[in-house]
Order: sequence, then structure tokens, then C-alpha cells
Amino acid sequence: MIKITGLEKYYRTEEVETIALNKLTIDVKEGEFVAVMGPSGCGKSTLLNILGLLDDPDGGSFVFNGIEVAGFNERKRADLRKKNIGFVFQSFNLIDELTVFENVELPLIYNNVKATDRKKRVEEVLDNLKIMHRRNHYPQQLSGGQQQRVAVARAVVNNPKLILADEPTGNLDSSNGNEVMQLLTELNEKGTTIVMVTHSEHDARYSHRIIRMLDGHAVTENILI
Amino acid sequence: MFKNNFKIAFRNLKRNKLYSFINISGLAMGIAAFLLILEYVSFEKSVNGFHKNISSIYRLLNENTKGQTWPQVEPGWAQKAKESFAEIKDYCRFEEGVGQGIVQRSDKKDATFREVNMGYAEGNFFQFFSFNVLKGNAAEFKKPNVVFLSEAGAKKYFANENPVGKSLVLFNQFGKATYSVEGVFSIPANSDIRYDLVFSLETLKNPANLNDNGWARLDNLSSQYINTYFLLSDGADYKKTEQKLISLRNELKKDKDGIVFRLQPFANVHLPASFSDNYQTTGNLKYVYILGIIALLILAIAWFNYINLSTANSLKRASEVGVRKVVGATQQSLVFQFLGESLLVNCIGFVMALVLVQLIQPLFNDIIGKELSLRSLINNPVWIMGLGLLLLGSLVSGAYTAFSLSNFKPVETLKGKLNKSAKGATLRKSLVVFQFSISIALLLATALIYRQLNYMQNQNLGVNTEQLVIIRGPEVGRDSTYSQRRTAFWNDITQQSFIKDYSLSGTIPGNGYNFATSGFTQPGSKKGDELKSYSFAIIDSRYLNTYQIPLKAGRNFTEAETGVEWNDNSKVMLNEKAIEELGFASAEDALRTKIQWDERQLEVIGVVKNYHHTSLQRAIDPIIFYPQNNSAYFSLRLSTNKLQNSIAKLETIYKRYFTDNPFEYYFADENFNRQYITEQQYSRLFTTASIWAIIIACLGLFGLATYTVETRTKEIGVRKVLGASVFTITQLLSKDFLKLVCIAIVIASPIAWYVRT
Ligand SMILES: Nc1ncnc2c1ncn2[C@@H]1O[C@H](COP(=O)(O)OP(=O)(O)OP(=O)(O)O)[C@@H](O)[C@H]1O
Ligand SMILES: [Mg+2]
Repeated sequence: MIKITGLEKYYRTEEVETIALNKLTIDVKEGEFVAVMGPSGCGKSTLLNILGLLDDPDGGSFVFNGIEVAGFNERKRADLRKKNIGFVFQSFNLIDELTVFENVELPLIYNNVKATDRKKRVEEVLDNLKIMHRRNHYPQQLSGGQQQRVAVARAVVNNPKLILADEPTGNLDSSNGNEVMQLLTELNEKGTTIVMVTHSEHDARYSHRIIRMLDGHAVTENILI
Repeated sequence: MFKNNFKIAFRNLKRNKLYSFINISGLAMGIAAFLLILEYVSFEKSVNGFHKNISSIYRLLNENTKGQTWPQVEPGWAQKAKESFAEIKDYCRFEEGVGQGIVQRSDKKDATFREVNMGYAEGNFFQFFSFNVLKGNAAEFKKPNVVFLSEAGAKKYFANENPVGKSLVLFNQFGKATYSVEGVFSIPANSDIRYDLVFSLETLKNPANLNDNGWARLDNLSSQYINTYFLLSDGADYKKTEQKLISLRNELKKDKDGIVFRLQPFANVHLPASFSDNYQTTGNLKYVYILGIIALLILAIAWFNYINLSTANSLKRASEVGVRKVVGATQQSLVFQFLGESLLVNCIGFVMALVLVQLIQPLFNDIIGKELSLRSLINNPVWIMGLGLLLLGSLVSGAYTAFSLSNFKPVETLKGKLNKSAKGATLRKSLVVFQFSISIALLLATALIYRQLNYMQNQNLGVNTEQLVIIRGPEVGRDSTYSQRRTAFWNDITQQSFIKDYSLSGTIPGNGYNFATSGFTQPGSKKGDELKSYSFAIIDSRYLNTYQIPLKAGRNFTEAETGVEWNDNSKVMLNEKAIEELGFASAEDALRTKIQWDERQLEVIGVVKNYHHTSLQRAIDPIIFYPQNNSAYFSLRLSTNKLQNSIAKLETIYKRYFTDNPFEYYFADENFNRQYITEQQYSRLFTTASIWAIIIACLGLFGLATYTVETRTKEIGVRKVLGASVFTITQLLSKDFLKLVCIAIVIASPIAWYVRT
């Protein structure tokens, strides 16, 4: 599903040039659950952003579902993204002014889904994630674990083929963290491909394979199953 | 999508109460000021526009060699012009001065008033101009001794009775005459012609009705006192007609006075078509433009607040933008969202502005001395322009915000890596500087106007108008006993201990002159000097004393000299300016030389020091003082104590000798300052507008300041922990803003200076 070869990404500030990704090559197959690990600043988030078509690589190739997407313009990336990819972030990134229901509904709105279908689908997902009773609450009225469940709900509401999660448990205690990992595992079992960045060896064990990164390139791969 | 966008916009407004308040109230104040000024501008533009034939009507003007114009012309030209030139289809004459007097209900003496908004007009007045005749038949106005009343005039004399068929008695210089009320008409607020009573000019066509005032004959070509309007045929070139009129004048006018005719399109009588058009107008184009510009500036200040606050607030919105992009929003959809938000805020601002306008309308009307309302906008195309402008402004200010917000890269915003202070800060700072430059420039310009006005009102006029009470002389009962009663009245008055000085005159400082005329020469005059115009002031022997105007040379009139008949008199006094105009080397020179006024020879017995008889804005005119016992104005200098008692006593005496005349008095200094009423109104309006602008700008600055404090709470906390005092922190925070305001002051001062000069 994902084939990355020789991927490069630089950040230029006035004085220094940081190499965030240095000729990175990795493969992710459809239905895989991959964990990405490595020390802070090694380029994990940068990789995830490129995978999620939020950012443009400076070099190398990125084939997504058999299509070369490196060099896609903003509009094409947005289109591909909203149809295929869901995101979960460490800091949840819910919109404070919208209710739980409305937050989860948002991707469907941008995908031009009809209102009646939206309602059905959102309720289904909220029900699955056991936060239906909170549908009219605002994010600040929820605990961290609940907020992350809403974020997961939003990521999956669109039935994306790929879910990208950047330290999804980073702001959660272990029981809430385990719950979220459980959710991701279930999603993966239903066929969704997952790439997750994490600092936790414990969380990484939920995945099929761990990619370890250092200074912008992959150093080792541990196959867990 | 829309529902979702509006929902979030509303919730945002609700959550950020302070921002919303500042944004919306700033916009509301800006839009309200804009609407009020728009009302004024559209009113000014609409003046006289209701006349159906306005595009074919032209006003006849006189223009002298100095390029000054005035609309009072000799009444004889109209008929001569119509007979001579085919393109002149019709004419209408009306006067607004010489006919003024006292009007009385013939059946009820307590309804007696001195009228200013009255005059004589041509029989076709109601066909030529488009005033609605509400009662009676317009054709009746072609008859002599007919009067038509405006609604206000009808109410004043007849309350709720039907005035048609009743009669009014008019006392003026043409004697006493009875007029039958044959019609009631309405006058729109935007009419320059403002009659409460209009008497048929037909009456004066009979020389017997002129009371020996031969100068007023309607066929005469020598006394300039009547307005003349021509109706030209379609497609006529009025500039050609103007040339023909000039030739006609040169041909028929025996004594050359250097005056040429001009035709002024009726549409330009209130406001000229451009600044280069220097014909006399009833309105002031410059003020209309200045106010229009002020309105736009105030609106700009309000929109800059919007841009400033919403981009400053963008940090809060950045993560929302990021999330929306992550879940599939395109930049386009975000631009629409933020544009929608700005439209929403502008709409709320607009609605609040409408409410605000209702609230401050009375105050505004009071300042400008007009009865305006939002309704006056609807009938005018200016309103559509204004609305379009409002829409455009909200779109532009919204678009800027929308593009800057929707431009955020999700990667950056989600990581919270957005460069906090830099984004848009320079723009915000420049906008603040711009806002304050405008506000301060407005304020400075206003202060300068005020100073000038103050200067005008406190400048030494060369004449003492303090503690002087003016009473209008009687018009009713000018029969054979009048001069006897007048003498008795003055005898009685002079017995009163509170009277320090008194005088009778045909005019007083601040009320213009009796008339102006040319044809004066002295043996040393050059050719063309006879075209120079001199102003006449008719005074008695006590005028100079009463007004404390010093003589420069020679002597004052004697009491005997003021009693000499007009045509038999040969003695005049001149002011210094007139001496200069006549080309005399010195005052003494003038006293030795006889001057020629057409065929008459005049002796200059005294030279009066220059004083300001009219507004300080006008150069001192050359004045010829002519001795007569004219009783248009009684000037009385009172001792300072018990003013009210003294005036009550005056009234009793006045009523004793001049029964049925209304007793009206005013103070000479207040009357003089009435000449500055327009300037006063505008300076009050400018002051209010600039204070308004400053409030809006401060509101925005306050918003920005709270925003800064909010984003710097952490920094402030750290500094406090490290031992910073509240004072140093306040200093730290206000330094930036003070710097901006100082820059604004530096920019504004030369602007204000430039604007004033
Ligand atoms: N916008 C940016 N501008 C400049 N440098 C950046 C930017 N974003 C990331 N970097 C740099 O690129 C490198 C990789 O950053 P990245 O965020 O991918 O690290 P990470 O592996 O996710 O670290 P962490 O585990 O702390 O989240 C770092 O050295 C970082 O400083
Ligand atoms: Mg990271």
C-alpha cells in the first residue's frame, strides 16, 4: 500500500539546515499494523506527515496505492487525503467549538456525504466506541481518554484505508492508553492499515512490525508476528 | 456545510465575548457614523431634485469684474429676454428680501408675526416649480392680492381651520395691503426655496401698490432685488443664451456697471458640479466632500479593527484550520467559512448600527440643524452606493482575514509550531499606526478649525456689539401719526435710566448692507473706476456713538442732516476702505474733494475707521454711510444690571406707541456671531466625528492589548517569579503601543496642517 524509496526532507531556517528525513526507504502492506519508534527528533512525525499527505517530500519517491504522489499539488493531496486517510494525534486536536457529534461528522461533511447518511454513520461509530452518551458534549467537558476516543471516531468515520497515529497514547494514563490501543487493534483486524508513532515499547507490541529510526533513516525492523 | 460554518461562527462569537464585543461594536459605530453622514450627503445631493423641469431651468446671475456672483437681478430683464430669444420658453421671478414685513390675520389681531420666510413670486410659480398645491387652485396665484401658504404657515395663522378664503394683511415697505388666501402648498425638506407665505407678484405690477417705491417697478432695469429663473427649450445650448443675455444687457443698460449675466443650471444652484465652478451656491460642496471622506475614514478604522483582531486571534483559530485541513477541508472551503464569518459579524454590526443610528439621530440632527432620518436615504441612489461600499468593505476585510487564516499549514499549526508573534504583526502595527494617524489628524484639524472660529468670534471687530439690544422697527400703523409716535417713543425711551445709548439705522453689523451700487468717481478717478461697487449703510447721527465706531477724520452727521429727504441729501461719510477704493491719497484729501455719484455730487463730511460690518471671513467692504431716519433697526445699549427688567420695560413702551407690532429683540453680538452658524455646525460635526473615530481606534487598540497580555501571560508569570514589579510589567506591555501611537502623532501632525491650509 505504501512504498517509500529514498525519501528526503529538509528544514531550512536562516542559519541551519536540518535533515529530517535522510534517504528513507520503507514499505507498508495493506492490512499491516506498523509501529515507528526512535529517539526524539529522528523524523518520525515528519514521516507521518508525508505519509498523510500533509507535507511534501524534498526528494525520493512515495507511491500510495500504486500512484506516485510525491509532487502532487495541495488540491490533489487534499482530495486523496480526505478519501483515504484518518489521523489520530497525541494532543487529540478536536475543535473546541464543536460538539462530539459535530467533530466526528466533520470529515463526512468535507466528503459531501448527505446529512441523513452522516447522522447514521456518526451514531454508528460513536456507538461502537461507547461515547454515544457524550454526543452533545464539548471536548473540554471530556476526559483525555474520552477525547482520544472521539479523535479515533473521527479518524475512522470515513472508513479510511489508512490510519496514521502520532503518539496516540502520549497524553493518556496506561488504562486509557490500553483502551485506545485496543481500539486500533480492532480496527486493524477489520482490515485498516495502521502506521503508529510511539515512544512506548508496550504500545509497540500491539503492532505487527516495528521500524526503528535514527537521524532520518530506518535502522532496524523487528517483525513481531 | 453552511449550517456548520455558521454554527461555529456563532459559537466563536459567544466564546470570545470581549473580541466579539470590540469587533461588533467598533463596526457598529463605524457603520452608524457612515450611515449618518451618508444621510447628510445624500440629502445635500437631493436638494431641489424634486423639480420636474430641473434640467431645463437656469438661474440668472450677475457677475462683477472681481468674479463675484449674486442672484438678485433687475426685474425688467425676464420679460425682455423672453421676447427676444425663442429658446426662452418661460420665466419665473421671486424675491426673498424686499417684501419682508409683518403679517396679520385680518380677523384676529393676536395672530401677528414678523415674517422672514416670505416674498413675492410670479403667477406661474406653482407651474414653473414643482411644489404640491394641497388646497386651492394654483391658477388663482396669477391674480393680484393673493397669498399661498405652506403647511407650516397655514398652521401658524389658522391652526386647524381651512385657510382658503380667509385673508391676511401684510405691512411692509410697500404699505399695508390685504391678501386673500387661495392655496396651501407643501415644501419638501430638500428645497432651497423656503417660503412660509408667498404673495402674488402680480400685486406689485400695479404701480399704485408700490407706495412710492418707484425703484421696485417690475419693468425696471436698475434695482437688483429679484431672483429670475428661465425655462429653456429642450436641446437649447444655455451658454449661447448666456451670451445673448450679456449682449442684451450691454445694449439696454445705460449706465455701465461692469456686470455680466451668467446662467447657472438649477441643478447646480445648491451644489456646484465641480470645485472649479465658482458661482454662488446655497450649499457647500467642500464640506460635503470633507464629510464623505471622514465617513470613509471612520469606516476604514472600524474595518482595520476587524482585520487586526481577527488576525491576532488567528493563533486560536490556527489549530482549527489545521484539523479541518487534516480531515479534508480545502483552502477554498476555509476561505468561504471565514468570509461567511466576516459577513456575519458585519451583518450583526450593521443591524446594531441601525439601532445606534436611531438612538443618535436626534443628536446628529441637532448638530447639523436638519431633520434627517434613515428614510431620507431610501429615496436616493447614494444609498445603493453606500450599501455596495459596505458590502465591498466587509468582503475585503473578511477576505484578508480569510486568506491569512486559511493559509496556515496544518503540519505547523497542529504541532503548535506556529511562529507566534511574527505572523501579521507588522501589518497589525501599520494598521494601528494608520488608524491613529487618521484619528489624530482629524482631531488636530478640528482643533485648528475651533481655534479659527474662536479667533473670529473674539477678534476685535472695530465695533462694540456688547450689551446692545436690537429691536426691529414697527411696520404696522405707519400712518400720518407714525413719525410723531416715533418721536414720542424715543423721548420716552431716553428717559429710562438703563438706556446708555441708542440709534436708528437701516442696517446693523452682522446683517449686511442696505444695498450696493456703483457709479462713484472723483476728479482723480481712472477710467473703469466707476465700475467699482460700494456698499450702502443707512444710519442716523447716533449710530457711530452707539456702536462705538471711531471717526478717522472730519465729523459725524448732525441730527438735522439725518432728517433731509433721500434725494436732497448731499452729505455722506465713507470708511477708510472706500477712500482707498476711490483713489484718495488721504482722508483729508477726501474731505476736500466732492465725489460724483452718477449725476449727483456728494460731499464727504467724515471718514470712519474701518470696522467689520460683516463676517470676519470677508474682507472689509468699501462703505458709504448715508444719513436717514430709517427705522428698520433700533439699537439700544443697556446698562448691565437687571437686563430682563429693562427689556420688559422696553416692551411696554414699544407696545404703547406701536400697537399690533410684535416686539422682537435680540442681542447684537449673538446676532453677529450667527454669521458663523454653518462653521459652528461643521466644527461641532467634525469634533464629534473625530472623537468617534478615536473611540473606535482605541477600542481596537484595547482589544489588541488584551490579546497581547493573553499571549504573554506565561512570559509575565516568569518575569514576576523572577521579581519584576507590576509597574515594570505594565511598562513593558504599554511600551509597544505607546510607540505606535507616537509614530501616529508624528505622521498625523503634518497631515492635519496640510488639510487645514
Ligand atoms: N517546521 C520545522 N522547522 C524546522 N525544523 C523542523 C521542523 N519540523 C521538524 N523539524 C526538525 O526536523 C527533525 C525531525 O523532527 P520530527 O518532528 O519529525 O521529530 P520526531 O521524531 O517526531 O520527534 P519527537 O519524538 O520529539 O516527536 C527535528 O530535528 C526537528 O527539529
Ligand atoms: Mg513527533
